[in-house]
Amino acid sequence: MVKEQRLVAWTVVILVITGSLCIAARLKSLYRARLPRGETVWRLTYDIDLPALKGGKIHIAIPDSTPYSRVFRESFSHQGIWMDILRTKRTLGREAIIVPIVGHDRGRFIAQFDILLKSEQEPKLPNPKVQLTTEEIEHYLQEEKAVQLTDPYVLNILSQLTSKQINKSKVLERIFEYCSENIVQGGQGATSDALGALQKGSATTLGRARAMIVLCRTAKIPARLVTGFFLESALDARKRYWVEVYSRKYWLPCDPENGYFGELPSTFVPIRRDSTDIVRSSLIFDYKARYSIRRLLPPPSFTALPENRLWNILDLTRLSPGMQEIITLLLLLPLGALITTIFRNIIGIHTFGTFTPALIALSFVQADWRTGAVVFFIVLTVGILARLLLNKLKLLMVARLSVILTLVVLCMILAVSILDYLGLTPSASAVLLPMVIMTMMIERFNITAEEDGHKQAFKIFAGTMAVALCCLLVLREGHIAKLVLAFPEIQLLNAAALIVIGRYSGYRLNELWRFRDIARSGTQGVS
Amino acid sequence: MRAILPRFWAWPSQLRKRGVLGINRRNLNYLFEANPRSVYKLADDKAVTKTICREHGIPVPETYAVIKRFGDLQQLSEIIDGRDEFVVKPAGGSGGRGVLVIIARNNGLFDIANGQMISLSGLRYHISTTLSGLYSLAGQPDHVILEQRIVPHPVFEKLAVRGTPDTRIIMYRGSPVMAMLRLPTKASKGRANLHQGAVAVGINLQTGQTFGGVYFDRAVTIHPDTGIDVGGVTIPCWDEVLRIAGNVSNIIKIGYIGIDIMLDAQHGPLVLEVNARPGLSVQIANRCGLLPTLQQIDSKLSSSTPVDASKKLVLDLAQVHLNQNLS
Repeated sequence: MVKEQRLVAWTVVILVITGSLCIAARLKSLYRARLPRGETVWRLTYDIDLPALKGGKIHIAIPDSTPYSRVFRESFSHQGIWMDILRTKRTLGREAIIVPIVGHDRGRFIAQFDILLKSEQEPKLPNPKVQLTTEEIEHYLQEEKAVQLTDPYVLNILSQLTSKQINKSKVLERIFEYCSENIVQGGQGATSDALGALQKGSATTLGRARAMIVLCRTAKIPARLVTGFFLESALDARKRYWVEVYSRKYWLPCDPENGYFGELPSTFVPIRRDSTDIVRSSLIFDYKARYSIRRLLPPPSFTALPENRLWNILDLTRLSPGMQEIITLLLLLPLGALITTIFRNIIGIHTFGTFTPALIALSFVQADWRTGAVVFFIVLTVGILARLLLNKLKLLMVARLSVILTLVVLCMILAVSILDYLGLTPSASAVLLPMVIMTMMIERFNITAEEDGHKQAFKIFAGTMAVALCCLLVLREGHIAKLVLAFPEIQLLNAAALIVIGRYSGYRLNELWRFRDIARSGTQGVS
Repeated sequence: MRAILPRFWAWPSQLRKRGVLGINRRNLNYLFEANPRSVYKLADDKAVTKTICREHGIPVPETYAVIKRFGDLQQLSEIIDGRDEFVVKPAGGSGGRGVLVIIARNNGLFDIANGQMISLSGLRYHISTTLSGLYSLAGQPDHVILEQRIVPHPVFEKLAVRGTPDTRIIMYRGSPVMAMLRLPTKASKGRANLHQGAVAVGINLQTGQTFGGVYFDRAVTIHPDTGIDVGGVTIPCWDEVLRIAGNVSNIIKIGYIGIDIMLDAQHGPLVLEVNARPGLSVQIANRCGLLPTLQQIDSKLSSSTPVDASKKLVLDLAQVHLNQNLS
């Protein structure tokens, strides 16, 4: 006993000291951290007002990390709309997909992206190597609005630029030269149409970019438009346009306006490829968008230690926002376990399964809680009812559990689909509900109800839900999520706390109630 | 404050004063310390417990068959052929879960002690779900024991409702610490499981007389179904019961153990099962905490002494316990 207690005390002390030292050391280095030379931090803000929402999806292109820039932090505020973030593989872009919530006819989407621009000491290729499929090549060679391919005027210019002897890359250079020298930047009323630009010899940036695309595509070189921003302080930042041409399995960026060919300064942040719109929808709708850019002083929490330092392994904020989200969830799990342990060992609340409450809470952390709750209760009620019916079939346990699992999956999908049909768009994260856990919970609920009565089953169910709710309230707290991500060392302190609880031999809170009659009674036979 | 609040709960200091053992302390100081993991299987598998007991001449209910595989189910009708009353019991179950007490045959159907009926195919299904682990501790595949049905001793006739009462004796390092008589009720559906609503009555270790009582963790003195006073009943063959419990704890080297013994009208005390994690409601039934006795045993036995102890000590401690109850 004494030996164990000493061992426990030492383990706890070592864990706490190691954890605290790590946190302290990292905090200190964070406060002293300076950005390496040439690196800058910028904040790009979207403020999109949607005054008349009608339904249907709206796609908003958002920045993603490139070899030159890293989106290290982002935050979204979306009133009256539901949002999800998707990645489009083909054009290497990210989109926020927003859908109005029923009952809201006005929405506002505000997003902030904090971008770290790396220094340009080592030139890197701005885009990774890709192999386009035939359909993709066709797509990037076809005619579209304001990009007129078959016009004789275009053919005429192209024939001046090409001859049979020269190869494609030479043609590309000539096209670029033509667009940057023979088309001048137009002022008021300048055209943004490709043909117009070539005919008049003056155009907007968009017109010049389109003119280059027309010439490239006519010369059978796949080309596409890129819409993005220059990172420079601006309250009302203008969208910028440039071109990417596909050559030798790379998409090469070209900006005829500023004369960049094959590479761009890192201040060019691409937002959407293949389109001029940042906000896009299949429906016609009104919106007012304002984009602003400002330079940030590196905040103290921003880790900008020199790269390739081993210490950086502990810095999880250097990972991409998508990865950070998943890692935060994982890091929250032990915290949920701590809460569950407190409830079970100190308060004495019974739950179905040890970590069921923590896992249920975790699946709600990122989901919209309303859809989560609807899906949860549909799955649970249908599951329990189905289990009652299954009882009559008298199946063996594993088969029965598998049937329930199948039904749980079906219910979940149906619930999501019904919600969608009713216009209450479900969040994809609701589907993350731990299905196997739900199945086991339904089974345990039924066995408990059968063996110990419905009262006991509901009591344990209520306990499970209460603990899950407490876990949820704590884990949903944004500051806690940020904290566990910034300092994974907190897990050591968490482990120390768990060890202390694991050696707690005092009364559980519910025992004060359970054994109250012993304290009250006299010596014998008194009630 | 203190004058009003104890109606709803007791202060930790009050419980400590009464020597109440809480679940955390039971796990840390008694189960971890006294019950080595490796011997749990002797208690958790009732078929194993029975075999060990039988080998050492400790009376247990007669086993008709142990069904281990689904294939064995084909012989079910042969096994129960000519038997009108028997018990179907999961070897790895706990709290009376999955136990079927068959009391008669009726036109091809079997009457269950709780008043329901079951067909042969229903019985087969029940056994097969048990084999696949429905009632076992961790859902692992299980065995099923078919054994002799115990006819309750006439002394319990008025107290037992739809089931058979049993006595549980808590033994610690070879000495009896506390005992209770568990009586099935309507709420417990004929099972002697306190969580399901059985009534338990404390037993004076020295005299074998019942006193106190607990029902759903509340102190009671009467049977909730019949209103009959549960105190003052003398358990027949009490010395024999204590002697058997002592023998069991000497054979099965589990330091902290609950031994369930039933009193058959014909065969006397029979060991039903042993529990390596006995519950704590016995304290409410006895209106007294377990800790003082446990600590006394620890201080009397140096920690190097093996689990078995002299009969003298057993009686000494019984005396200690009695004094405590009367003080």
